[in-house]
Amino acid sequence: MRPILLSGHERALTQVKYNPDGDIIFSVSKDHVVCAWFSHNGERLGTYHGHQGALWTVDVDPTSTLLATGGADNTMRLWEVKTGKLLKTWDFPTSIKRVEFSADGRQLLGVTEKRSGHLGTIVVYEIDPDPEAKQSDEHILRIVCEDSKPTVAGFSYLAHYIIAGHEDGSVSQFDAKNGELLYNTQVHETDMLITDLQWSQDRTYFITASKDKTAKISAADSLEVLKTYVTDTPLNSAAITPVKDFVILGGGQAAMDVTTTSARQGKFEARFYHKIFCEEIGRVRGHFGPLNYVAVHPQGLGYCSGGEDGYVRVHHFDKGYFDFLYEVEREKAQELANL
Amino acid sequence: QDQAKKNTANKAVIEERQRLLGEWLEFRKSMRQMLEEEDAVIELNNGKILRDEDGEVEEIE
Repeated sequence: MRPILLSGHERALTQVKYNPDGDIIFSVSKDHVVCAWFSHNGERLGTYHGHQGALWTVDVDPTSTLLATGGADNTMRLWEVKTGKLLKTWDFPTSIKRVEFSADGRQLLGVTEKRSGHLGTIVVYEIDPDPEAKQSDEHILRIVCEDSKPTVAGFSYLAHYIIAGHEDGSVSQFDAKNGELLYNTQVHETDMLITDLQWSQDRTYFITASKDKTAKISAADSLEVLKTYVTDTPLNSAAITPVKDFVILGGGQAAMDVTTTSARQGKFEARFYHKIFCEEIGRVRGHFGPLNYVAVHPQGLGYCSGGEDGYVRVHHFDKGYFDFLYEVEREKAQELANL
Repeated sequence: QDQAKKNTANKAVIEERQRLLGEWLEFRKSMRQMLEEEDAVIELNNGKILRDEDGEVEEIE
């Protein structure tokens, strides 16, 4: 099926997210604007105005009521999805690189940037899911990362842990109740920035993408690396598909880093790997610049990618995608069916 | 002879895949069990929150 092109942003996309029902896509860009789109036809549903700088991150709560954003204007903001009303602004000394709700939507974390005089931190706020409620000014937790700044972070299952990816390629596991560092391990190559961290649906494992050209799946409780996906390009994003056992990786060398030729135009690709066998099974090209983020439809019906080229491309999977199985998977399914 | 070599190679690939699949399914089973013991309702519902109106007849276009 032909992809739908969402053109409305004027600058590079930084993050894209589906809402839990998968009918709406939220996108943020360096152009300061948050957009909401209908995923089935690409029609723009609305925009959220107020940020005064490039936006780095967006997340929607599990009831599709609240939207969180963060950016270079050193604010994290909370919006009402339906009305576009700005509900809350939290100010920080540095920019917000990542926001993420917990699975129950009762907590929101923000990753703050490191800058002279300020270490990178992870802050957590308690969230009242009622859009009429007054949200708290004070964080309930603040984790200061003294060794290597965090670039991405999220809540594990039951919000037991906060897992963070760092600039130095390591991954940390914190106790999400008291912020204590439980474990830190070098998941990616040393000093290769971790660019993305996305969860499996039940948040027991997650995938990290790195500039070291690999993506890895690790277990949330043990931090054991379970799978490694090797590519030939620095990665900006990695997503786990529900329904099918695939992962989707996005990245690419920025134009300034490669000799641009007309032959390269439109050849930035989303790469599909088999999640369990770690083999590449396909590529989808189309973007005119690196893919900065890939997000999967929560019911596994499609995916979308946000590019450095300023476009969001939305793909709906066709039958062949769902039918694809390795022989050993087919046999196993048969075996389980016969039990 | 080439054919025999190829078959051996294929067999090795298939056995490796079977091992990986079995190992993954074991991991998933143990995680699922852990979530059940912890009564992780949202997680066991594929990350979706059960809303009050769920179960009622509600058509959302």
